[in-house]
Order: sequence, then structure tokens, then C-alpha cells
Amino acid sequence: MIRWLAHLARLLPIVILAMAMQVAAAFAHASLTGSEPADGTVVATAPQAYSLTFSEPVSPLSLSLVGPDGGTVALDRFELVDRTLRIAAPAGIGPGTHVLSWRVVSEDGHPIGGALVFSVGAPSGGTPQLADDSDPAVLAGLWLCKVALYLGLFAGSGGAFARRVLMPAIASGHRFVTVMLLIGAAGAVLSIGFQGRDALGAGRLGDIAVWSAGLGTSYGRTVFAGLLAFALAGIAPRLAGRAGYGAACGALLLAGLAPALSGHASAAAPQTLMRPAVFLHAAAIAVWIGALVPLGLALTRGEAGAAVALRRFSRIIPGVVAVLVLAGIVLAAVQVGRPGALLDTAYGQVFVVKLALLIVLFLLAATNRWGLTARAEAGEPAATRRLARSIAAETLVVLLVFGAAAAWRFTPPPRVLDAAAAVPVTMHAHTDKAMAELTVTPGRAGPVSVAATLLTASFEPMEAKEVTFVFSNPAAGIEPFKRQAGRQADGTWRSDGVVLPLAGEWSLRVDVLVSDFEILRLAGTLAIRP
Amino acid sequence: MNKLILAAGALLLAAAPALAHVSLEKGEAPVGSTYKAVFRVPHGCEGLATNVVRVRIPEGVIAVKPMPKPGWTLEKIKGKYARTYDYYGTPTGEGVQEIVWKGGNLADDEYDEFILRGYITPDLGVGSTLYFPVVQECGADKAERWIEIPAEGQTSDDLELPAPGVTLIEKTGGH
Repeated sequence: MIRWLAHLARLLPIVILAMAMQVAAAFAHASLTGSEPADGTVVATAPQAYSLTFSEPVSPLSLSLVGPDGGTVALDRFELVDRTLRIAAPAGIGPGTHVLSWRVVSEDGHPIGGALVFSVGAPSGGTPQLADDSDPAVLAGLWLCKVALYLGLFAGSGGAFARRVLMPAIASGHRFVTVMLLIGAAGAVLSIGFQGRDALGAGRLGDIAVWSAGLGTSYGRTVFAGLLAFALAGIAPRLAGRAGYGAACGALLLAGLAPALSGHASAAAPQTLMRPAVFLHAAAIAVWIGALVPLGLALTRGEAGAAVALRRFSRIIPGVVAVLVLAGIVLAAVQVGRPGALLDTAYGQVFVVKLALLIVLFLLAATNRWGLTARAEAGEPAATRRLARSIAAETLVVLLVFGAAAAWRFTPPPRVLDAAAAVPVTMHAHTDKAMAELTVTPGRAGPVSVAATLLTASFEPMEAKEVTFVFSNPAAGIEPFKRQAGRQADGTWRSDGVVLPLAGEWSLRVDVLVSDFEILRLAGTLAIRP
Repeated sequence: MNKLILAAGALLLAAAPALAHVSLEKGEAPVGSTYKAVFRVPHGCEGLATNVVRVRIPEGVIAVKPMPKPGWTLEKIKGKYARTYDYYGTPTGEGVQEIVWKGGNLADDEYDEFILRGYITPDLGVGSTLYFPVVQECGADKAERWIEIPAEGQTSDDLELPAPGVTLIEKTGGH
């Protein structure tokens, strides 16, 4: 009996302690009082260790680091020193925004979680992409028709101008120009069908709806101008005197105008700069390329007027090329925007290919001009043959350039991508006491601005003392982190410099402190684009 | 066995400061009688010292008297109650609605209790919980607000900033 009581006596303190702990259990909750690196900051180099300081000693449940690519690394090397948790950083932390997502438990068992968002070097922001899903047959059709249109405009109309106005002394090239005009006309007409099919996303070339859709786009104007250019170019040789001369000039002007009536380049701002730039670029191409094949043919056949034609060509071509290059630079600067876009956007990559081809073309042209022209003008047969062959090579390169330029139909320029990527994401959240309209600009991963408009349940504007945004991404393992909002002059609440490191579905909660003693929490989700 | 006691003892000693919310010492009170509300303040605001403690008196608690605290200035903010209550025969329509203790300095590693006394009117529902929202202010711009009241289906444990509450029980005998 006594032994039993002695055992009980020994157990009694534990029972009392347990009862005392029951009382304590209901009230304990640690809170984060500080961290290293601080939440929402940019650090120059990746830290070697992280530290989280709490209001009381805690033990970690899970610690992970979410990288800019969404990959999660579990952090398992840590030590607790007094109330600070020191965590060793994993190796190979690259630049961009990382999130240290932590979940700890206070001594009583109540878990709390949070996230530390910090950026190494600079906050990461994804490269904007635009989804484009289209039938490959339609895309191939569009591309071929575009190349055919270029051939018609530059080799056809340009050729008619070259033969009638620039180098009237030569007779060669008539059949070539006519074939080019026919190719161009066929391409122009068919492209309306393909364009309409692409615009509608469905249907077959036999449907009227597809053709009317194609005509309805701005591309229809280009096709009309092109067909008119082909018509004028076609009749120019048949008209005598001034009429023929005028028709050839008209064909050239329309060949320059047609590309300026549609497309990304012409539509860019500032319009007063871009449309004339496209016109000049196209007209200059037409003059230069139009003259190439007739000249080459004339040289090959040893025509009498070939030398004269060559002289005229050599005289005017530097000015034409200067206009072409200048206009091209203006267009590239506005469309590409930033140098990085040359490599990380499809548009930029096509531009690099076109530029490489142009370098080859200019090298050939330079050899022609300074190496062979003088001797060919003098009448040397060897030089004349080499010049003819070189012109043939130039023509081939030009064809490749047309192919590259036609590919731009499928790549939105970085200018457009940036605008699309900047589109904001909105969210609406409401409870029976209040509602909030939130806008996250831009709506993609990286640094964003969050703005909120608060309304009472009866749609009146709501005044608040403080507003906090709480972001979390449970799917990516990111615990909630808070960002304080500032009141703007127009009554909205705004937080700038919030970094959302990943795309996906984020949970956003708005904590509205209505008065000192009343807080409202409104929650919703946001779909953040990559 | 001894090791177990030692561990339990250590845990208790460690657990004793582990109270982060502001809470009421007496979790139950009978309706229709005077209640001594002891607000336990175990922490400052994220490590900073508390300088102001404000308690909002819920509707239904009348004739409130705070206990003065040395080193702190007391402010009693009066207002009209939602209705007139009968206080031992005297109809009472207005009284203290907010108590503010200010000008003090309670460090984060210190503990203190703020006491007030009030009469819980008998027509408050037995079994319901009466919440006293408390705000701790530290310095000019930091505050801890224990002001959330659980909605239907929620408990205080679900909330991030729960207000201290007292469960109301049957009126006991006496006067």
C-alpha cells in the first residue's frame, strides 16, 4: 500500500504539470520577430545562412527554399540558438527571387507558417511569351503566299520599274517579270483565304466566311494595293512614252505602299515615323531587287545596252541602299525594342537570321561594285560573266531573305509581347461586410504592383486605417507572406515592389483594419501568368 | 522516472513564458454578477515594448471600473450603451466603453496584468462567449490587435488575432 502511494506521490507533480500545461496550451503561439535576409528585399550575393527569430523557442516542422524556376529544396541543416533558428543555405543559389517557406511549431504544438521572399541580384521576371496554336498547313500556306507576294512586289513591280525607268536600254527580263507578277498575284489572292482561315481559327478555304474574314482584316488593303501594283506593272511595257513611264512609277509606288498598309511594323507607334519607314524600305527594296535579274540576264546575254544599264544602276544604287538601310534600322529599333529581345524572342531570332543573310548580300554587292563593275562596264567578258554569276548568287540570297522576312508573320514583335505581358490580372473578393476589387499589374511572375479598391456591402467606398495583402501559394509550397499597402490620393490602397516569384494560382487575402477594434479579411485567388 | 519528471519540469518552465496572446485569467463568469477581468499581457509587439493597452468593453457589460497601475495613466472613454440596463435598481444607459492604460513601458521579456471590473448583465446568453477586444500599442506605429471574434462554426484557435473571451455560465446564488 505504502509503495503504491509512494509511486502515486512521484506521479503527482507530473499530473499537476500536465494540468498546468493544458492551460498554457490554449494560448501559446509564437510569432516571427525578425529575419535575415529581411522579407521582400534584394541582396547582392546569395546568403550563406538564413536566420528566423521568433518571440519564443520553436522547432521547425518544414523548411524549404523555392527557387525562381519553381523547384523546391528542403533545408535540413539548422540549429536553434535561444529563439533564433539558424538555417544553412544550400549551395548553388543563382540570381532571381527565392522564397524561404517555413513552418514551425511552438512548444505547445500550435503550428505557424510564413514565407520570406528575397531576391539575389535582381527580382526575377519571366520572359513574356504569347501562345500561338494554329494549323501548320494554314501557317505554311500563309508563309508561301507571303513569299510569293514579296516576289510579285519586288521582283515583279520593281522589275517593271527597273526595265522601264531605271534601265530602259535593256530588253531582257520581260518574261521573268511577267512570271513574277503572276506568282505575286496568285499569292496575293490565296493569302486572303489563308489569312481569313487563320483569323477565324476554323473553316476551309472553300467557305465564303473565310474569304470575307480575310478581306475584313487590314491585310486585305495590302492585297488590293499589291494587285493594283501588279496590274500597272503588267501594262507598263505595253504603253508607249509617258503613259508607260507613269505606269511603271505607279507600280513602284504601290509596291512600296502595299506593305505599309498592314502588319505589325506599320501599326507601331509613332505612326508618322513607322508607315513612311515601311514605305521607303519596301520601295528601296523594289528598286534594287527589281533591277537585279534583268541586269543579270542582260549581262549574261551580252546585250548592247548592258554596260549603260550597269552604269546607271551603279550610280543610283548607293542612295537607294542608304535609304533602305536607314529605314530598316528605324523599323528594327522600334520593333525589337531592347537588345535582349534579339535572342530571347522568336521575332528577334528571325531578325538575326535576316541580318546574317543581309551581311552576305551586302558582301556580294560590295564585291560586285568595287571588284567587278568597272571592268564589266569597260566591256571585259570575263568580268561580265563573273558579275552575272554574282548577281545570280545575290538573287538566291534575296530569296532566302524574303523567306526569313515572311516568317515574321508568325512572331509577334517584342513590342507587342511586352504590351500583352503587361496586361493586369484582377480579383474580386467579398464577405457579407465588405468587398474588394484587386488589380495586380503586370499579371505575370516577377515584380508586381497590387492595388485594391474597398467597398462596403452596400457598394459605398470604404475607409480603412490599414490594409495588408497576404500572398501564399500552397501548391508551390510557399507559406503566407505579408505586404503592407499605402493609401493613395484616390482612395485606393496600393503596394508596389511585391515580387511573386512563380506563375500559377496564388491565394491573396486582404486584411482591412476598419477601425482600431475591427478587422475584416477578404480572400480570393489570382492566376499569375508565366 | 526521475528523468521524466525532470523533462516535464523543464518543459513547464520553458512553457510558462510561451503565452503569446493577450488572454483573460478567468475563462468563465456567471451572468448577472460582477466579473473581475484580468488581462494577461505576455509579449510586446514583435519584440518591442508595450506602451499602451486599450480594452473595448463589449455590449452588455456595464459599470466598468479599471484598476490603476503605477507608471501608467488611465483613461476611461464613456459612451451610450445600446439600451438601458437595470443595475441593482438603477437604470443605466451610458458608461465606460473603452479603457486605455497609456504611458507605460512593458518590455517584451516582461509580463503584466491589466485589471478591470464590470457587471455582466443577466440578459446575456448563458453558454455564449463574451469577447473583449484588446489592442497593444508599441511605440508610434506598431500594434498587436487581439480583436478577431470567431464567426459561426469557428473557434478562437482558428484565428490569427483572437480577442480574449469569457464563457458565460449560470447565475450563481448570492448578491
